[in-house]
Amino acid sequence: MSAVAAMPFLDIRGVSYGYPGRPAVVDGIDWRLEAGGFHCLVGRSGCGKTTLLKLAAGLLAPRSGRIVRADGTPAAPGPQLGYMFQAPTLLEWRRVIDNVLLPVSLQRRPLAADLDRARGLLDMLGLSGHAQHYPRQLSGGQQSRAALARALILEPALLLLDEPFAALDAITRGELQDDLMRMCRLRSTTVLFVTHDIGEAVYLGDRVGVMHRGRLVADIPVSLPAPRTPAMRHEAAFNQACARVFQAMTGDGP
Amino acid sequence: MKRALNPRVLAAALFAALLAIWELTVRQAGISALVLPAPSAVVRTLWTTLGSGYLWPHIGATLAEMLLGLALGGAAGLAMGVALAESSLLDRMFKPYVVVSQVVPKLALAPLFVLWFGFGMLPTIVMTALICFFPLMENTLTGLGQVDPNRLQLFRMLGASRAQTLLRLKLPAGLPGILAGLRVAVVLALVGAVVGEFIGASRGLGAVIIAAQGMMDTPLMFAALTVIACIGLLCYQAALMLERRLLRPYADHS
Repeated sequence: MSAVAAMPFLDIRGVSYGYPGRPAVVDGIDWRLEAGGFHCLVGRSGCGKTTLLKLAAGLLAPRSGRIVRADGTPAAPGPQLGYMFQAPTLLEWRRVIDNVLLPVSLQRRPLAADLDRARGLLDMLGLSGHAQHYPRQLSGGQQSRAALARALILEPALLLLDEPFAALDAITRGELQDDLMRMCRLRSTTVLFVTHDIGEAVYLGDRVGVMHRGRLVADIPVSLPAPRTPAMRHEAAFNQACARVFQAMTGDGP
Repeated sequence: MKRALNPRVLAAALFAALLAIWELTVRQAGISALVLPAPSAVVRTLWTTLGSGYLWPHIGATLAEMLLGLALGGAAGLAMGVALAESSLLDRMFKPYVVVSQVVPKLALAPLFVLWFGFGMLPTIVMTALICFFPLMENTLTGLGQVDPNRLQLFRMLGASRAQTLLRLKLPAGLPGILAGLRVAVVLALVGAVVGEFIGASRGLGAVIIAAQGMMDTPLMFAALTVIACIGLLCYQAALMLERRLLRPYADHS
C-alpha cells in the first residue's frame, strides 16, 4: 500500500438532495469511489440509493455538496458513463445488435470496429446467436445481458447499475453477476452497484456502503479473495460479511 | 365431418344466407326495384356500369379525394401532434383552437367550402383532410407523451440531442398509437370523401348516388354503395396489413 492515497475516481462530498419542505432524500453523504473498485450500495426501498446513483451520474444536480471526478470536473451524464436500469430498457423496434450499438450510433455512424466490439461483447455474454433478433424474442436474462453489453460498448470508465438483476430468477442472477464481474475486471472498470440484496452486494463488492434514510451509515470493506467464485457463497467468511452488512442495515452496527 | 367449422366459412355462409333472404323477400313480396332492388338486380347494374366504364372515373375521383385528403390531413395531424407534444407552450396556445375546430361538425362546413373552393375535388379534399387531421394528431400527442421515462433518461444519459430523442425514441415508441390513429383516419376519409361529394361534386361515388336518386335509379344507388363498401374494406385491410408489418418487432415472440 502506498502511503499517499490515490486520487478517488469519483468523490462524493457532503452531497444532499431533496425537495423543499420535505425531508432530504439524500442527506449529507461523503463517499469516495476508488478507481477500478467494485462499490455496492445497499439499503431498504426508498432509502435514497437510486437518487444517489442518479446524482453520481449527473442526471440530478445536488442541492448542496459536490460530486467531483478524478480530473476535478463535476459529474455529468455522457458516453463516458455506462448505466443500467432496473428494467433492461431495450428499444424493442431495433435488433439486439443495434440496441448494443445505440450509444455509438447516437454519437456517430458505427464503424466496422464498433460492430466487431459489439459482436465480441455479445459473444462473451452468450448472445452471439441473437444479434439479429428483436428484444421481445429474448428471455428476461438475455435482455439483461443485452443491456449490459449496451452499457459496456463504449468501454466506460465508470459503470452505474441500479438493481439491474432484481427481476431475474436466482440462477440467472448468479450467472449475470459472474458475467458482470468478469467484464469489469477485464477492463478495470469502476463500478457503483445499487441493490437491496445483501448477498449480491457482498458477493460482488470490494466495498459495501449501507444507506439508511438518506445517510450513509456504514462503509464496509469485503475481505473475500478475488476473483469470487460461486462456491464462496456457502463459506463462513461470506456469511460473516453478510451478517455485518445486515447489522449495519438494521441499525445495530457500528 | 369437420370437427370445428372455419369462422371464415361461417361468415361467408351468413353473407350468402342474408343475400338469399333479401332476394327471396323482394321477389315474393313483389317490392318495386325503386324501393329495394333485389341483389341480382344490383349485381347486374354493377356489372353493366363497370363494363361500360361509367363507374370507373367516379371510383377514381373518390379514391383520389380520399387518399389526398388522408395524406394531407394525416401529415398535418402528425406534424401538429409532434409540435404539441414537444412544446408545452405550443400545446397551451393551440390546443383550444384545435379542440374547437374538431367540435364543429366538419360536414356542416361543406357548403361553406363549396362557396370558397368551388365545385370540384378541392372542397372535398379539404374536408377529408380536416376529418383525418384529428385522429392522427390526438394519437401522436398521446403516443409521444407516454414514452417510458427510463428510456428518456437513457437517451439523456447517452447525450442524445432533442431531434435524436424525437426521431429515434419518441416516434418509434409512439408508432403503435400513431398507426391505430391512421387506421381510424382511413375509414373516416372515405366517409368524408363520399359525403363531400353529396354536396358539391359532379364526379365521385357520392355524386353518383345523388344523381341516381334524381333519376330514381335505386339499383345504381345500391351499386355505388357496394363499391364504397368494397373500397372501405380494402383500405381498412391495407391499413391493418401495414400496421402488422411495421409492428412485427413490437409483438411478443414474433
